[in-house]
Amino acid sequence: MKLTLGYFTCSFALPLLMAAAFTTGARADGETIAVFTKNQTNPFFQTVRVGADNMAKSLNAKTLQYIPTKPDSIPEQLSQIEDVVVKKPSAIVFTPVDYKAMVPGVEKINEAKIPVVNITDRSAGGKFLSFVGADDYSLGLETARFLLKTLGGKGNIVIIEGVKGSLTNVDRVRGFNDALKEAPGAKLLASQPGNYQRLQALQVMENLMQSNSQIDGVLAANDAMAVGAIEALDGANRKAQVIGINGTKEAIDAIKSGKLLASGDYNGFAQGCLGTMMAVRSLRGQPVISEIVLKPTVITKDNYQPFDLPLEQRTCPTFEDAGKLGAK
Amino acid sequence: MTDITKEAMMPPRSFLSQDAIQLFYRLLAALLICAVLAVLSDSFLSLGNILNVLRQASLTFFIASGLTLVVLTAGLDLSVGANVALSACIAGTVIHKTGSPALGILTGLACGGIVGLLNGIMVTALRIPSFIATYGMLWVLNGLTYWYMAGETLHGFPAGFRQIGSGYLFGLPIPVYLLLVFLGIGTLFAQRTIWGQEIYAIGANPVAARLSGIPVARRLLLVYAVSGTMAGLASIIFLSRLNSAEADIGESLTLPAIAAVLIGGTSLFGGVGTVFGTFIGALILTLVLNGMNLLSVSANWQPLVTGIIVILAVWLDMKTRRRAQ
Repeated sequence: MKLTLGYFTCSFALPLLMAAAFTTGARADGETIAVFTKNQTNPFFQTVRVGADNMAKSLNAKTLQYIPTKPDSIPEQLSQIEDVVVKKPSAIVFTPVDYKAMVPGVEKINEAKIPVVNITDRSAGGKFLSFVGADDYSLGLETARFLLKTLGGKGNIVIIEGVKGSLTNVDRVRGFNDALKEAPGAKLLASQPGNYQRLQALQVMENLMQSNSQIDGVLAANDAMAVGAIEALDGANRKAQVIGINGTKEAIDAIKSGKLLASGDYNGFAQGCLGTMMAVRSLRGQPVISEIVLKPTVITKDNYQPFDLPLEQRTCPTFEDAGKLGAK
Repeated sequence: MTDITKEAMMPPRSFLSQDAIQLFYRLLAALLICAVLAVLSDSFLSLGNILNVLRQASLTFFIASGLTLVVLTAGLDLSVGANVALSACIAGTVIHKTGSPALGILTGLACGGIVGLLNGIMVTALRIPSFIATYGMLWVLNGLTYWYMAGETLHGFPAGFRQIGSGYLFGLPIPVYLLLVFLGIGTLFAQRTIWGQEIYAIGANPVAARLSGIPVARRLLLVYAVSGTMAGLASIIFLSRLNSAEADIGESLTLPAIAAVLIGGTSLFGGVGTVFGTFIGALILTLVLNGMNLLSVSANWQPLVTGIIVILAVWLDMKTRRRAQ
């Protein structure tokens, strides 16, 4: 019984594993860059991956993508690191699924002497060649400032928060609140959780409209929630200025059609490009920039055009551009 | 089947009346929450807010109603949320590609139903415990959906299609009509048909059910297919209400649906519970979140309060059930 079961498992598992190995197998020529992102569900990380692929191709290197099958899974990313240390890629471009919990993983990479670049979320520890990221706080601050400027510095505002306690949410909401402090004429009615989910944001907005007859502005911590809030407003035939964060394709379409006021671009594409560029440059003995914090762009109806291109058609910034975009 | 065997399979009357007592307690709990919220918030009892709550509860209810039948057979369907996500993404693509909402709706329902049927086949033909089979299915569906969507979102659907989830008819939101229809169908099916009673019998004692001539495998297949089809329906409502689909919607839908079934008094051990109870369960969950939004309860406290309410509801249920016995 045991034998047949074992045979059964092998005959199923082996071909599957082999198929998986073939599809992800590395080419022998050029450097191999392992790119770690947090999940396969957030469009943001798709832009990071396309940026990394784009840059690698132009430098004649090759990427290997590592994505946890369960979104943001700490144990899964840890075991992917263990796999990659055995596989020994030329370099790693790394986004920790959790900036604190993944420190032991980064230490494993350091021990294996594989050069590593940190992108998106700044790791709380470990040694990195370079950091490339955007600043959630200034994204929150600048998008909220834009909303308040549009409203003439006054009005009733609600905040729809992301996942409580997540690094991105803490900083974005802090930025929102600091912008509100600059506008004494504006009144914060409520700051309620939408957990980065469209449906939850829609329902929160429906509920808030019941107790607040006048809402002028909505600050949502990501685009999906902003669009959810707009659906709720439309459903109730009410109008408010709404902003989101991330600059997703959906947000760009909503800005074009006038439904969304603005979205803060987190610049995932440039993060993927520049992270990979720094990794390859260091392998080739060229100078790297040790820290790039990209300045936030508030995407509005006046400047959305460059963001309206399909990802494949966008071009990576050059090394010279990197300095201008936010090198420290 | 003769009338005598039909009669023999009906549960004893005292059993039904116990369910009635449980329903009464549950309604009382929901009314109590309403009373507290009405005192604390001026806007709670407004017509607009009541319609809000019903519309918001409907999505959870659609998923949870089919799930109730599965739990009645002492099974569990952990794949419902992932099923909603895949069905929504596929139905959305069909609508985009063909421009036909009708075709999209049929595809969504079919996709949900086929997934349910596959769950049923794993549970009956392969004899995999439902918890494991549907957990495996959850991963398969997530994998398919993530791969298919590749981090993109689908959005923008025809105005006519949007009416299903966002429209009104005689002042009531359309999902509320659907809620009433499926509440009626579900209750009649479970309480007043032979198939429904056979499902209770399978949950109460599968061996006795088989020995008394109930085609257990066929009924289980039906139950999982219904659960999947209801997930397909939920995916259509989701699409038309949110005007978009993305790969990660499933995770936030599964646990509330399971919670609604349990708060509604359906036993995880099978054989006990009602579809109406599940409706009250979905209502209680929605009321709590709605109330906290109206009262501007801090984002930190909302998950905590929801958790406590779920535990309290199930504990009270066990307590009253023991007393009733």
